[in-house]
Amino acid sequence: MSAERHFRVAVIGAGPAGIGVAVGMANRGIGPVVLIERRPELGGTPMGYRKKPNGVPTFVEWTRGRMVFGEELAGRMVKRLAQTDTAIRLSTQVTKIYPAEKRLTLLGPEGVCDVTADAVVLAAGAREQTPAEKGWLAGARTSRVSFTRHVTGWLDRHGLLPARKPVVVGSDLIAYSAAAKLQAAGSDEPVMIDRRRSPAAGLFERLFFRRWTRPDWSGGVTFAEINGDRAATGVQSSDGQEWLGDGVMVCGELVPNTELALLGGLAVELPSRQLQLVRGQELSQPGWFATGNVLGGFHGAQWCYFNGRRVARAVARFL
Amino acid sequence: MAATGMKQFGTWQPATRGKVLYNWPRGACEEELRFTDSEQLGGEPYDVAIVGAGVVGCGLAYRLSMYDLRVLLVDRLHDVGEGTSKANSAIIHTGYDAEPGTLESELLREASAFWPDLSDKLKIPFDPIGAVTMAVTDEQERQLEVAEKKAHANRTDGVHILSADEIREREPNASFQVRSGLLVPDEALGDPFTTSIAYAEVALANGVDILLGCTIAGVELGRGLEMSLHHLVTEEGHRLTARRIVNAAGLGSRRLSDRYGGGEFDINPRRGQFVLFDKCARPLVRHILLPVPTAHTKGVLVTPTIYGNLLAGPTAEDLPLGSPEATHTTVDGIRKIMNGSSRLVDGLSQQPVIATYAGARCACSQGSYWIRYNDGAPGIVTVTGVRSTGLTTSNSLARHLVDGMQEELGLELSPDTVALDARPESAWPGWWRRPFEDGRPNARADHGCAVCFCEVISEGEIRDALNSPLKPRTIDGLKRRTRSMMGRCQGFDCQVPLAEIVSSHTGILLEQLTKNGPGSELVAPGQAPRREEVLV
Repeated sequence: MSAERHFRVAVIGAGPAGIGVAVGMANRGIGPVVLIERRPELGGTPMGYRKKPNGVPTFVEWTRGRMVFGEELAGRMVKRLAQTDTAIRLSTQVTKIYPAEKRLTLLGPEGVCDVTADAVVLAAGAREQTPAEKGWLAGARTSRVSFTRHVTGWLDRHGLLPARKPVVVGSDLIAYSAAAKLQAAGSDEPVMIDRRRSPAAGLFERLFFRRWTRPDWSGGVTFAEINGDRAATGVQSSDGQEWLGDGVMVCGELVPNTELALLGGLAVELPSRQLQLVRGQELSQPGWFATGNVLGGFHGAQWCYFNGRRVARAVARFL
Repeated sequence: MAATGMKQFGTWQPATRGKVLYNWPRGACEEELRFTDSEQLGGEPYDVAIVGAGVVGCGLAYRLSMYDLRVLLVDRLHDVGEGTSKANSAIIHTGYDAEPGTLESELLREASAFWPDLSDKLKIPFDPIGAVTMAVTDEQERQLEVAEKKAHANRTDGVHILSADEIREREPNASFQVRSGLLVPDEALGDPFTTSIAYAEVALANGVDILLGCTIAGVELGRGLEMSLHHLVTEEGHRLTARRIVNAAGLGSRRLSDRYGGGEFDINPRRGQFVLFDKCARPLVRHILLPVPTAHTKGVLVTPTIYGNLLAGPTAEDLPLGSPEATHTTVDGIRKIMNGSSRLVDGLSQQPVIATYAGARCACSQGSYWIRYNDGAPGIVTVTGVRSTGLTTSNSLARHLVDGMQEELGLELSPDTVALDARPESAWPGWWRRPFEDGRPNARADHGCAVCFCEVISEGEIRDALNSPLKPRTIDGLKRRTRSMMGRCQGFDCQVPLAEIVSSHTGILLEQLTKNGPGSELVAPGQAPRREEVLV
């Protein structure tokens, strides 16, 4: 609807990585930069981990050598961003990308519009794998089969406990943080199950969370099915073992949000959805870059922020 | 001018002559939608009460709403089309492979011809892309010839055999093993969710009362002077009085039939598991691709969906009636589908899967489309065993049932002159006719604020669905109307924001919101929120 606008750099996603890019561009005096965020607030995933008394700090702030709440960490990044003159579009989703023209179609409260840029950075983050994507978890499609994102949403935004007797599927840092948050908020000690023989989270991470939770661990599950009629009542393994609960938390094992790239025609590997990188963090089309968890794997908020700053350097070189 | 006169899709809110009520004792819906007493439905007995608001029941209610009749549609679930009707392959069949001369074949032929018109009238997304049955062995090639003859006997248009080259031209990704195929040009993709909803919405507008979440525990047959007045008794003891009862309860029809002493039939759930691929897989396939059926099973098919995904399935597993696993998926079943589907399409195994689901077809040992009039008592109709073609035939079956009721039950029909038979343009689902397509300005800002990012569904669309005629109050009801939470992230990003919108729009407390009715609360039930921690 509105006239097409041109920016030097367009950044998709205003989580730590996207903010890192915007700050990095500002430091180099390159502008105008537009930061596009589909959710109504800045800061991305860590912003959802609110700071509360008796809460569990789950984010590592390496530069200060301590554990903090996601909100504190993201809040500082947002503050730093506010000192720049980055154009910010909230509640605005990129619905389509045109790699050759470096053009993006946006949907926001004002309607649909296109913007173009000299360089585009994908900082779209990642999401948790669904039960079907795991491939080893089947069964009922009931209520209270939740992701860690729901745990933080219900607990931190509304003070509601997603499950009193949770069965956590997954064993990485995210799964442990979910277990810790649940138990700190009053749930029973969670049961934790995974395909792996030993937990994916490292020893130090597990030791850190022992203050709040010591999940009842069962590794080496080959196949499992979620039980329940209206709400989940537990998980049953193919060898007949059963873990009872009133909710199943499907945690961790991130999948990068690369669908824009995939549907727009940038090179993406399937079925892993990994972006194909050419030279550093540049994508298959010149002028397109990626940073943060959209690269795949699992990185902390501060790593993403600094990675964003690093990519800003590459973008500046490209421009 | 285009901007002001523009239709906002998914916003149809007709003046309804019927009532929609939820049997929902605590929370979860507003006071005025709550069923507490049969007096709310008026004292007059119903001319027809339909038990089961699946696609069969809704289709019949729609048909009956054209006449001057008092009709009740009642279901144990908290939305229409939530049982068997919601989980299937969503194919609108031509009936080319049905047994010629059977009722099923007749109804399929009639329905298939009428679907384009029905889709247009009721604003049900529909896409006639055609189907190809693909043979990979000599034996199967011979079977194709038999199938072609059968299709001609069924008078299905345009059915003919394709050579391997012709198939490759039409389907570049067909497996190299494919030797020949049978093209059925009129097979189509439908939208199973919107079909039940559209029927029920028009029926409601025309005065059909809809009672949801209400299990019928007993039937008191008419006696003495009130011979023709039957009573449906709900689990809570409410009595719903009707002159005629139609048992369209699907997998619940056996239990209900026992209550009124209906004829002998045996049904059981036949589980069909499906694998749903992400939208990036859609370009791999242009038609509905079917394997040659064997004596045991129709086999695993690969079909695009009307929503732009690719779907593979189903399995066919007979389970005992009442089995809790009838809609569960199994790792084994999923693996079978993956193997079967990659035999038809090259490269499918590399495509990302976003969800798996299972549906239970109502398999009847006495044959499909088992219909009895005056079954057990005068005025009672049993219709069961509508297995996998119910979506397609819902309209012709309703026509058939109404004719039958006229003949066998003496149902008198006088047309209701003000009844609607269609939904207006604005009733097209928003995901099918996007509110923001062509870059047109949004009438409302909330139509530009996406909540479900995968399917790009806005807050405005959620609110419109909440205001839609049937007043859906469950998260699954909203999913089926808007497609939010149906995308690749399966609600990762949007479940909590969606619940927040429902809560703020309806006043239902977050902790009372359910996925599909009582017992399916989104958070651990029975907790008072610690409001001091609310940080919104």
